This record gives sequence, structure tokens and C-alpha cells, in this order.
Amino acid sequence: MKARGRHWLMLWLVLFLGVAAAVVSRQRAALLTARSLDSLRNQRVALEGEKARLDRQIEEATSRTVLIPQMERAGFHQPDDHESRILKADSLSPGLRPDH
Amino acid sequence: MAKPVARIVALQVAFGIGLVLVLSRAGWLQLVRGSEFSRTAEKYRLVQLELPARRGSILDRNGTRLVISEEKYHVQIATREVSDTPLLKRAVVRDLRLPATTLHRIFQSGASRYAWFNGPWTAPEIARIRKLKGVHLIPVYSRAYPSGRLAGAIIGTVAGDSGRGTSGLERSLDSILAGTPGLTTNLRDGVGRQFESPERLIRAPIPGNDVVLTIDAELQEIAEQALTEALKDSKAEGGDVVFLDHQTGEILAVASRSAAAGTVTASAFTVPFEPGSTAKPFTAAALLTFDRVKPAETVSAAGGKWTYISASGRYSRTIQDTHVHNQPLTLAGAIQVSSNIGVAQFALRLKPEEQYDMLRAFGFGAPTGAEFPSEAATSLVRPDTWRDGQEGLSIAIGYRFVVTPVQLAAAYGVFANDGVLMAPTLVRSIRNVDGGILYQHAPEVVRRVITEAVAATVREFLAEAASDSGTGGQAQLRFRLLGKTGTARIAENGSYATGKYRASFAAIFPAKDPQLVAVVTIDQPGTPEYFGGTVAAPVLKNMLLQALSARKSVIDRGALADSDESAPAGAAPARPPRRTESEVGQPHIAAVRLPVPAPAPARASYAVVPNVNGKPVRPATLALHQRGFRVRVEGGGRVIRSVPSAGDSLPAGTTVVIYAARPGTP
Repeated sequence: MKARGRHWLMLWLVLFLGVAAAVVSRQRAALLTARSLDSLRNQRVALEGEKARLDRQIEEATSRTVLIPQMERAGFHQPDDHESRILKADSLSPGLRPDH
Repeated sequence: MAKPVARIVALQVAFGIGLVLVLSRAGWLQLVRGSEFSRTAEKYRLVQLELPARRGSILDRNGTRLVISEEKYHVQIATREVSDTPLLKRAVVRDLRLPATTLHRIFQSGASRYAWFNGPWTAPEIARIRKLKGVHLIPVYSRAYPSGRLAGAIIGTVAGDSGRGTSGLERSLDSILAGTPGLTTNLRDGVGRQFESPERLIRAPIPGNDVVLTIDAELQEIAEQALTEALKDSKAEGGDVVFLDHQTGEILAVASRSAAAGTVTASAFTVPFEPGSTAKPFTAAALLTFDRVKPAETVSAAGGKWTYISASGRYSRTIQDTHVHNQPLTLAGAIQVSSNIGVAQFALRLKPEEQYDMLRAFGFGAPTGAEFPSEAATSLVRPDTWRDGQEGLSIAIGYRFVVTPVQLAAAYGVFANDGVLMAPTLVRSIRNVDGGILYQHAPEVVRRVITEAVAATVREFLAEAASDSGTGGQAQLRFRLLGKTGTARIAENGSYATGKYRASFAAIFPAKDPQLVAVVTIDQPGTPEYFGGTVAAPVLKNMLLQALSARKSVIDRGALADSDESAPAGAAPARPPRRTESEVGQPHIAAVRLPVPAPAPARASYAVVPNVNGKPVRPATLALHQRGFRVRVEGGGRVIRSVPSAGDSLPAGTTVVIYAARPGTP
């Protein structure tokens, strides 16, 4: 069958629409990727910020300024000189040594 | 009416002309003005941005993060873009903790299209408002302190959003901590929204390097807390604490407080003071080095009041002891009871040059070279200007010269180190972002100051001074320590103020196989007790007890357990056998502390004289001291030559004379 003018027109139109759709979809994909990149980046920063906040809380909660008053309220005290003894590994019975 | 053919032809011609016009215009736009329009389009579509580099972190010696860089945000609200004003107001008041009245004013007046809120706020804080319309966030890197402001005065600060260090280590290590900013191009859409495009990254930012300090966070916390409590208990104006690993020169903790200003300071580096009796061991070291005293020799204690009359008879001065003694004093006894009279009489046997050279050799009168940027300039009066019975006697008992607590700690390290002075440092290592080590501190020997025998004898004196019968007995604990107290009067407006003292205590712990040196100073105690032995010494004991029971103690408790706990007070502390050269070369093992390099044989300790021409006298002197030379300065200003000259190889300890002149001086 011989292609007529309207067939050519249709072909060009389809070709144009195809190219336009490809361009639009690529743009859309790029925008989505950019948004997702932006969102991931924001998430990373938010998580880093949260980690820093939690680190601060942990450091604060385990600092001597917090622990020692709590310890004293619980009836404990900082060991005095004569109240502590440093154990040597070879003074422990074999079963208690760290290398057993 | 024209024929159809003619109409068609006319239509074709019209279309043809139109086509030619369109093509011509397209050609004009594309070919002639294409590049101009392309540039304009790029200008609107692309935005070039500098990507800030993350500043490096500062960590303690165990990896505890003291300072980090965190991405934070300033907030800008475009009032006309806001779609839900009540929601935005509620979110801003709740999350950014801004007063509601401020927001009401901004929205009611309608005067400004943009409202700027200077945070910066952390990412969790702005997590909810970032999704709201009309909110624009401006990211900046900001310093955060996971461990609070531990060692804050030493670490220093950075200036706002610029991220440049303005004080402390942030300033002196700025070029190391600051990274290299990157460059990128963002895409902008029709409504001005920007999108990152990885393909348009021109240059990635290079993060700054991480700095690992020699500071031990736990010991630092102990020091800061103990100092704060001590100032409160003694109603003092201020104070300093320094802990130093004398074997490596690493500063383990340094805390300073000023009660008057209510702030932390860096006075351990920046504010020199007259050391008082803590300087007496240096006089003793000079007397022993120049063999001017025998162990059994005594001087009169003079009943607590002794008058010196100069050779010419025209000058006299009276020296008093706070605690009156009547028995004759040996040098050891004079140090033990901290007798000004005893030490002053012995010091008369020293020539001014000998006394001066000994103090210079201990590092006084020159900066230590630690990385802190504004270390105080201390000076020693040159011996050729000393007057009979004045400077020499005063210096012997710790007056008329000033030291910083860090200098004093480094100098006491000489006694613990068998006579070797180590350069103090605050930086242990520097790592790049990948964890690669760029710099690792190696213990740096400044010079041998005294012999091992003299160091051992002075340690015996310090053991007596810190015993129950000495002035520092209140610092003593089961693991014996060596130390010397000081109670110096404070000079104000050219004379010594009545009733104002600085109590101090310098110690070496433990007595056997020392692990660290500590200095405590308490400025102007407001209690009836103001002596170093009663105010400063107990503070050190308290800190050592806490350090011994700390989770991650910097004190090697295993080595302490091996030491003799029942050593009688005042017993001569024994030194562990020095390692041989071959042992020194062994790899470092956690439990084995870095050894002090043994005094090298004369042939091996040669050093090259550095080129100091053109430098000011102080840095030139420091450069020569750091290579182990003694220095004599002739003139002032900038160095014009040195004898021996730069490049000569000389044994360490040789005196290098530097001639200096001020610009314009012939």
C-alpha cells in the first residue's frame, strides 16, 4: 500500500509525540531524582543532628557532674585512699583471671 | 475573485515568506545572538554556589568528641508565600522557641516580605517547619560540643558562620581544622526552587582534618570540677590545674577558673605568677649541680628572721619564715620545711649567671612552645643587672620572676624525668577525613638540664617536703607522691599587697616510677587558711583519688599496684631501671609508657644551629632552645647574627650567642 500524505502526517505526529514524551519523562525522572536526593540529604543531616543531640545527652548523663550527686544520694561515696585496692591479674585465682 | 490556482499560489508565497521570516529570525536568534541568550538563560537557570567544607573535629586522647561541626540552619520566612499562617506561627513558636509576639508583629504589619531569624537551629529542631510553604532554610556549619564546654578555654571559639578560629586551639590550628570549600552549580526552576545536580559539581569540598588532643576528657572533667569546688570552698579569686605526662610532654588536663569574672579562662597558659616556694627545688638543683653544698652542711634558721647585709654595707634586707625554726637547716631540711631563710643563705653560694642559667635551662623566661596561641611571655632579669642581695635572693625563693602553671609543670617534669626537659604539647595527632595519620606527636627532648644524680637528690627533697613532717603532707595518699608547696605574696601596683597570697602545689605522682606531674594554684584564698599545703595540696589529693577510681583512668593502675604501697614517708624514692637503647627502639605497647630518651653520648647529641637571622629575639631563642642549645642574647630587637652561625653542628648544651638590634640601629 502506498503511503499517503495523511499517513506521513500521522507518522511525524507520532514521532514528535514520542520524542516529546521521552523528553518529559526524562525531565520528570530528573526532577524526582533531584527531589529524592534533596530529601535523602535532609534525612542524613537530620539523623546526624539527632545523633549529635543523643551523644550530647549521653555525655551529659554519664558526666561526673550528674553521676556523682546521684551516687551520693544513693548512699555511695567516692572511695577514699584506704578504701580502694588495685588487684593485679596474677593475684587472682586462675578461674577469675581474664585470660582464663 | 481570483482563480483557485492563483489563491493557492498566493497562499504558498505567503507561507514561503512566513517560513523565510521564521527561519531568518531563528537563524538570527540561534546563530547571531545564540550565545548571548544561552548565557542569559544559564544565568537564570543555573546558580553557582560555594559548598562550605566541614571543619574538622577535636577529640580527646581516647577519641571522645569534644568539638564537632554540625549542619545547622538560619530561617527565613517569605510572608507572602505562606499558605497557612496560624500553622506556621504555632510551629515556629514551638520548635524555634521564638516569642509569639514577634511573629504576630511580622505578619500583622505586613511591612516586610521576608523575616530573618538568626539561629542557627539544628536539623531536628527545624524538621517540621522545613516542610511548610514560605519557609526557606539557610544551612551553615556550626560548632557543637558533645561533651559540653569541656576544656573550652583551651579549645577556644570560632567566629559565627565564617567558621574561622578566633581563640584557643581553634585559632592556632585553624589552617588544619578548616577544610577547602567546594564549588557546585544548582539548577533553578521557573519559580526559583533550586535542585542539586551531582553532574554539575565543579569541585567537591574537602573536609578539615581532625585533631586529637593530649587532653584526657575524664581527667579534664575531674580537674575542672575539683577546681570549681576548691574556689568555692576557699573563697578564692581564681586558680589553675595542670596535669602533664612528663615522659612525653603531653598535657593531660588543664583547667583554669576566674571566680571574679565567673568564667573559665586559659590562665594556665596566659597569666604568669611568682612561684614562691615551688621554685626552691630549682635553687637546690643549681646548688647541687655546681657542687656548692654538701648533704650535711647546715645554715642557721635564725629563729625565723634573718637579715642580709650587702658587701658594701649600704644595703640590707630581712627575710622571714612563716613557720619559725630554731634548729640549723640542711638544704634538704630547708626544702622540707620551706624555709626562705635556709634557701636564701644557701643561694648566696651561687653566682648570678649560674642561678640564671639554671632557671633558663628549666625553661623559664621562654615560651614552652605548646600550641596554645597566646602563651604568656615570661622573662628573667638578666644576671648582669642583678644587685647584691636583691634579685639573687628573691629569685632563690621564687620572687622577681614569673612562670605560668604549664611552665612550672614542665620544669617539675625534669625531676621526674631524671633531669631531662620535655617540650609540652596539646596535640597528639592529626588525621585526615579518611582516618589517615598526618601527624603523630613524638616526645621531644628539649635538653638535659641536670644530671640523673641531681634529679634523684631533688626527688628525695620533694619526698621529704610532701611527707607528714613537710609542708605538703595533706596531699599524701597511699601511693606516695613527691611535691612542694608554695605560698607567694601577690604584687599589686609595684608592691606586695597585705593579706593577698597565691597558694600552689607542684607534685610528681607516684613517688616510685612517676607517671605524671601536676600543678595546682589557688589565687587569693579568702579563708584564714591560705597556705599551699592547706589550700592547694588537698585539691590535688582529691583529684588524684578521683582519677584513680575513674572509668578510664589516665593513671596506669597496673603499674601502681606493682609499686610498694607501704613505703615509709620520706623514704628516698627509687627509680626503675632505665631501659637500654635497644629497648627504646621496641614497638610501643599499651602498658609500656614511652621512655624518656636516655642522655645520649656526647658524640650522638649533635644538633645543627638553625638560621634565626631576622627573627625577633623570643622566637629565635625558642628555636635554639628546642634544639637543645643554651642561648645568650646580646642586644634587643631582631637577630642580626649568631655565633656559632647557622648550619654549624654542635653538641647539645652549647651556648649560642645571638646578637640582636632594633631596625635603624647602626
